[in-house]
Amino acid sequence: MVIVVAYTPDSSGEAALAYGIAEAKRRDAKIVVVNATRGDALVDPRFAGESAVGTVDSELASMDHEITQPIGPDVSDLIISEVERTGAGYLVVGLRHRTPVGKLIMGSVSQRLLLDSPVPVFAVRPPRD
Amino acid sequence: MDALNGLMDGFATALTPMNLLYACIGVILGTAVGVLPGIGPAMTVALLLPITYNVEPASAFIMFAGIYYGGMYGGSTTSILLNTPGESSSVITALEGNKMAKAGRAAQALATAAIGSFVAGSIGTALLVAFAPSIANLAVKLGAPSYFAIMLLALVAVTAVLGASKLRGFIALFLGLAIGLVGIDGLTGQNRLTLGIPLLSDGIDIVVIAVAIFAIGEALWVAAHLRRRPVEVIPVGRPWMGKEDWKRSWMPWLRGTAYGFPFGALPAGGAELPTFLSYVTERKLAKKPEEFGHGAIEGVAGPEAANNASAAGTLVPMLSLGLPTNATAAVMLAAMTGYGIQPGPALFEEHGDLVWALIASLFIGNLLLLVLNLPLAPLWAKLLRTPRPYLYAGILFFASLGAYAVNLQWFDLALLLFFGLLGLLMRRFGLPTLPLIIGVILGPRLEIQLRQALQLGEGQWSTLFSEPVAVIVYVVIVLLFAAPYLTRLVRRTPQEA
Amino acid sequence: MTDSPVIREGAPAPDAPDAAAAGPDRAQLGLAALVAAVGIFCIAGTWNVQAGFSGVDPLGPRFLPRVVGLALIVLAVLLAVATLRGDRGEAEEGEDVDLSHKPDWMTVAQLAGIFALNIALVDFLGWAITGALLFAGVARVLGSRTWIRDLIIGAVLSVGSFYAFYVGLGVPIPPGILDGIL
Repeated sequence: MVIVVAYTPDSSGEAALAYGIAEAKRRDAKIVVVNATRGDALVDPRFAGESAVGTVDSELASMDHEITQPIGPDVSDLIISEVERTGAGYLVVGLRHRTPVGKLIMGSVSQRLLLDSPVPVFAVRPPRD
Repeated sequence: MDALNGLMDGFATALTPMNLLYACIGVILGTAVGVLPGIGPAMTVALLLPITYNVEPASAFIMFAGIYYGGMYGGSTTSILLNTPGESSSVITALEGNKMAKAGRAAQALATAAIGSFVAGSIGTALLVAFAPSIANLAVKLGAPSYFAIMLLALVAVTAVLGASKLRGFIALFLGLAIGLVGIDGLTGQNRLTLGIPLLSDGIDIVVIAVAIFAIGEALWVAAHLRRRPVEVIPVGRPWMGKEDWKRSWMPWLRGTAYGFPFGALPAGGAELPTFLSYVTERKLAKKPEEFGHGAIEGVAGPEAANNASAAGTLVPMLSLGLPTNATAAVMLAAMTGYGIQPGPALFEEHGDLVWALIASLFIGNLLLLVLNLPLAPLWAKLLRTPRPYLYAGILFFASLGAYAVNLQWFDLALLLFFGLLGLLMRRFGLPTLPLIIGVILGPRLEIQLRQALQLGEGQWSTLFSEPVAVIVYVVIVLLFAAPYLTRLVRRTPQEA
Repeated sequence: MTDSPVIREGAPAPDAPDAAAAGPDRAQLGLAALVAAVGIFCIAGTWNVQAGFSGVDPLGPRFLPRVVGLALIVLAVLLAVATLRGDRGEAEEGEDVDLSHKPDWMTVAQLAGIFALNIALVDFLGWAITGALLFAGVARVLGSRTWIRDLIIGAVLSVGSFYAFYVGLGVPIPPGILDGIL
């Protein structure tokens, strides 16, 4: 069994990761953390740098795990192809707080994942602060 | 005109609301392009050359000066927050700056860079006021032989001293001189190298060359090597410094200024050498040298000050002799010729009001940079998220617009593409762009001085050595060529002994 | 970093820079040929230029082109020799430049094509149209996938710049096919 976590280095990504870890432990599954980026700007705040990847890596040290950072024009496609590649049974995504207008303009990766994912999806919301 | 009076008049011009607005725009734009990857102050001024069609010269140069200083500032911001310095002059700043930022001291690194830039820029500009007019006064009295020698020195210095390969530097320089030859010969009225194309008779517009080499060439080069993987940026709040940081910074600022200004003022000083020297000095003098390599604030304060002081120094030869020694200064001189203003030693006399307004605006711009940018730093960091397709589409769009607006003919766009591809080739083969641009700008002036000198000397080549200043300059040129071999000799002797 | 995180790139696998591996940089011989050609052009292209009165202008209009031409030819030979000895240029680095990949000349060719299209069409269609196409086309080639949005941004920029030049700078950019509409 494999669980894929769509990870971004922010509160919703952390929430997804925390849930993914708990879920993987419960099911004794391998956890695959996917941090995808379009790679079309010099800086992408949703792309985990070396130190953030290192932190995640050490968090997962005791478990069977893998971290990937695919780059391509469509982030949700990248995540889904990782789900297919690993033959995952579940996908965990973090939702972020967005206004309806914001969603209209920006589009939403998590929404695309909910619609397109071939496997069941856990949608996790970060704790409100 | 006495320098202080001139400066006061300059402030009067620069402080009008309209010009203050231009200074603000320049400073903000300059910082933005300094931060943005792939676009720098030289390219920005080149892209803005069309404004010279209708904007007052003083206002245009006030804005350009803001872009020049602002770009320097923006460059240091990225070299601290990212580990990929955009320009060679900020490589040294990145050494300690990025380490400081990684250690959670980004705010202090940015603050010491900003305040150091302000201090160095202000002192540097004051030194500019002190030196440039008297140098111009001396230079005005020089005859064609001396002036020819000085221009030759500038060309040789920029080509032979800066950059890794002299061979490539000279190839770039002579390509630039060849481009400068195209068009009607001023003295005999005959077409040269125009291939019978009437549109080439006026020569190739410097706007087109500058935009092609700096904007198109760069954009095409980046497109061929687009970085896909995002780089790590260090989040930052508002820059600030503690008491201890001030104590550790002020001496490096002053020492950095002392290194930077003279190197900038020399024809081939550049900013690389003084920033490096400043870094080495600070490491030697530091109370805690073990901090170097792990984020020592002195290693940011000194080089950053040296960088900005050298930027001010660069304006000395530009304003007093009409000699550009870096890319942005070269494009600014191109803008001057666009206004029909002949850059050279007579500039202070003939266009004193313009020059002093420019200098006054440097003081103002420096202050604006400090006031605006300390609170805006987090915003600038956000600019790095600009998607590249839009960034480069915008660069190519404005480059085409600027070239098209020169004559409103497709022909200039074709030239733009042609020289843009040349710019791409140059980047591929490591040919430096600066000698080419300076060759294009100085070539025609060099030829006129040479022919005038020989005209007055009735065709005798010895006339070139008829002035003492010329002879001294030729000796310096020979020394420049010989220097590497001499140092090699000196170094070799102890080994052999 | 250690090798523990598997990092997969969406782009094709990076090719290591082959600086030391291959022999001389043959493309650089082409550059040398180009430099020599420019040098020959400088001399040949000014061969028939008439000298002025020698009293007024002893040096004449042919002198500098010959010096420059000769220098370029000599430099080209030096470059060729240096190239055969294994000399390589240091390709320029930059914030957005990643030299660890092989250069992507296809993208460059596409950009040049879009540029050429702009040159061919600008007199007929006018800047307001070709400028918008230029912007959207370049954005597309560089990886943008939002055609409509790119065209709208391009159109706003090109029409905006048309009026900015007309009103602000007093430069009337030819309207092309949109004559009478703009």
